[in-house]
Amino acid sequence: MRQFIVLRILYSIVTLFILSMTIFTIVRLTGDPALLMAEPGARPEDLARVRQQWGLDRPWPVQYISFMQNVFTGELGKSFNYRLPVSELYFQRLPNSLQLALVATMISLLVGIPAGIISAVRVNSLWDNLGKIIALLGLSIPGFWLGLVLILVFSVWLRWLPTSGTGDWRHLIMPAIALGWYFSASLLRLTRSSMLEVMRSEYIKLARLKGLPETVVIAMHAFKNALIPVFTLAGVNLVVMVNAAVIIEVIFAWPGIGRLLYEGIFQRDFPLVQGVVVMAGFMIIGVNLLVDVLYAFIDPRIRLTR
Amino acid sequence: MMRSPWHRLLVTVLIVALVGGAIAVAAATAAADSAKVVPKGKMTLAWHVNIATRWLDPQEHDGTATTDNFTTAIHDALIKNQGTVLYDHPALAERFEFAQDATSATFWLRKGVKFHNGEPVTPEDVKFTYENYRGAKADVLKGQTQRIEIIDDRTIRFVFNGPFLDFPLIFGTANVSGAGWIVPAKYYQQVGPDGFKQKPIGAGPYKLVRQEPGAKLELEAFEDYYRPVHVKQFIIVSVPEGATRVAMLERDEADIIYFVPGELIGRVKANAKLMLAPVLSGSWWLEFPDLQNPKNPFHDKRVREAVSFAIDRRAMNEAEAGGLGKVHGNWINNDVQYAIDWPEFERDLGRAKQLMSEAGYPNGFEVDWLTPAPAYYSRGERIIAQLRDIGIRTKLQVMERGIFYQKLQAGLKEWPGRQIILNGARIGGSWANWYEGHFKCGGFNSKDRFCVQELDAKFEHYEKSINPDERQKLAEEVQRGILENYYFVPVFRHAFVNAIGPRIAAERWQDVFQTITTGYAFPWEDIKLRDK
Repeated sequence: MRQFIVLRILYSIVTLFILSMTIFTIVRLTGDPALLMAEPGARPEDLARVRQQWGLDRPWPVQYISFMQNVFTGELGKSFNYRLPVSELYFQRLPNSLQLALVATMISLLVGIPAGIISAVRVNSLWDNLGKIIALLGLSIPGFWLGLVLILVFSVWLRWLPTSGTGDWRHLIMPAIALGWYFSASLLRLTRSSMLEVMRSEYIKLARLKGLPETVVIAMHAFKNALIPVFTLAGVNLVVMVNAAVIIEVIFAWPGIGRLLYEGIFQRDFPLVQGVVVMAGFMIIGVNLLVDVLYAFIDPRIRLTR
Repeated sequence: MMRSPWHRLLVTVLIVALVGGAIAVAAATAAADSAKVVPKGKMTLAWHVNIATRWLDPQEHDGTATTDNFTTAIHDALIKNQGTVLYDHPALAERFEFAQDATSATFWLRKGVKFHNGEPVTPEDVKFTYENYRGAKADVLKGQTQRIEIIDDRTIRFVFNGPFLDFPLIFGTANVSGAGWIVPAKYYQQVGPDGFKQKPIGAGPYKLVRQEPGAKLELEAFEDYYRPVHVKQFIIVSVPEGATRVAMLERDEADIIYFVPGELIGRVKANAKLMLAPVLSGSWWLEFPDLQNPKNPFHDKRVREAVSFAIDRRAMNEAEAGGLGKVHGNWINNDVQYAIDWPEFERDLGRAKQLMSEAGYPNGFEVDWLTPAPAYYSRGERIIAQLRDIGIRTKLQVMERGIFYQKLQAGLKEWPGRQIILNGARIGGSWANWYEGHFKCGGFNSKDRFCVQELDAKFEHYEKSINPDERQKLAEEVQRGILENYYFVPVFRHAFVNAIGPRIAAERWQDVFQTITTGYAFPWEDIKLRDK
């Protein structure tokens, strides 16, 4: 078990290293940030001054080492645009993103799991078809469109909810629905297929042969086992929602991490983009590592076969 | 009926006393009113992109128009562009004198002006601001300045190396340079440039109370400002999505919104409570890289003129700016010094085809690319469709904004073959900034794409001249030279369409957007809320 965990941690470190190299290279391929920081049409010597000021005139390997040093010190570099440590900006926005992602996750679980179970239990019925339609709509309706429709209906026409920004609980409703909607659909589909698979297994047949009531079979035996992959996906979704809800955060002017990333890309703020992506990678890899270790604890076959 | 002289005298004295009294009362009331304006209420501005913290520090002014919105709220300048005044509206300086030989400028500070921390604005602050300034045009200003003399506690003089005619223009235009926007020397040195950007202190009508970097600024009226400030709380919130901004206005969550996208203009127009504010903004024109090359079809003036005849400028304005822009003849905005007015170019397809035939292209020709300034790609599509009518066939090339400017600044090698660029700009100050940036051979954006020696020689003469009349004459000659020869083909001046909500007291949009040199709503202190 110890060897398994050590190996997993090593894999994670390698993955983070590759991620850091990739994002470092990609942002530099987007162009020269000095052009956006200096006045339009700045002279070559002005551009050179800006590059020197921000260390952009140094060779890429030196810049990369500096970037990694900043990662290890936890500062993540200094934003070109905000003149603040990226970590400070990140942690200022993190509570907003967590708040939004948690509520969106709750919505996606509350919609996706019950609808998935009903679809699986009443397979090929009207309920199942309704579930399929919800899943199809969830996966095909873009979040930005849904967000704008919500604003139009609930803010402009009905005047029930504020259009955008942060504040009390009412500010959270529309962005959380728009964000959670897509994830509800994916959870619905996974719950349905996972439940169908479990319902066909031998132990469920045995439970039924024993004469257990159908509700007990579903709730006590099928549901618990079908839920493992669903919660795994929900965990990964949560991390994605925290770090990459770019469109929803832009539409609802929600000051979260996704918007921070968007602003960084827009302004070619290399340290900001690198920092946010590395933090997102760290979270996703961390969650996956945790899930792998938990699986290995629960199921000994996993640690033996890998 | 006869009256005694005493009676007449008495009546006269009474009338004089009554009228005099009434005048005195009215004058006293008016004076008291202006003196005791108590700022009240809250006004929210929905800003259209994110809010970059660096915009709060005029010492690092990037030379664009974007920073004005923030600079004019938090900071103040000695002289500035305001209303219809291009650059010399007295602000922190109650007056200034520019020497007749243009070798010095003297400013007298207004009595009692203060920074938000209560410290007085002193000549030492002005000197520090200028000497420490490192933003746009810093090299020009410092290169031409020999010394700064503090005459007394309210007077400061800038002495130049030689005649420096453009000094007031550069110094006093908010979207050209930040050197005239005074920062408190002691505080700036104490907190450093980065600290200053987080908690800027200025002498402007609003002081910063709180900042959420990138997302929101909370400002409060500075009651010691030398002009009355009418609104107590001023919130600037970044809302990048246009539809959300319009929804905020419809719901009274915002009072002013910037940049209503074309597809939403109709929705705002249809709402009787809202008011559109189509501020005329940048000009758009077509340029033909390598036109000096005889092998290039655009070398022939007749081809360039044919292009001009083929462009449907009114349709462009209608489609791209809801008809709220302006079709005008010059490619240089008329809100800068020495810009000339030029009649609208007509559309005449018959004449265009005839010119193409005369030039030897009766069936037109292929152009490798037409590249519009990002992200105005639909404008490029329209031009392509219109040019097809006279046989000029081309394709749209799109590129990211940074790359576009990088290519412009790299010169002709980045624009091989036959190319058309649909360019646009809004540059403040003087016509010379436009010419130098976009047309001059070796200019910062034009590089070697066009080299018209005759006009460049005149421009050089203009730069060296210290005679204002001669400069104006040369400026006009150069602009005429470009337009008469169709070196650039002007398209239209687009509108930066903003909107105003019902809480703002305004009869017409110009009451809020008073300053003609900007698309923003300053002077902020003049904006009033309606009484409930």
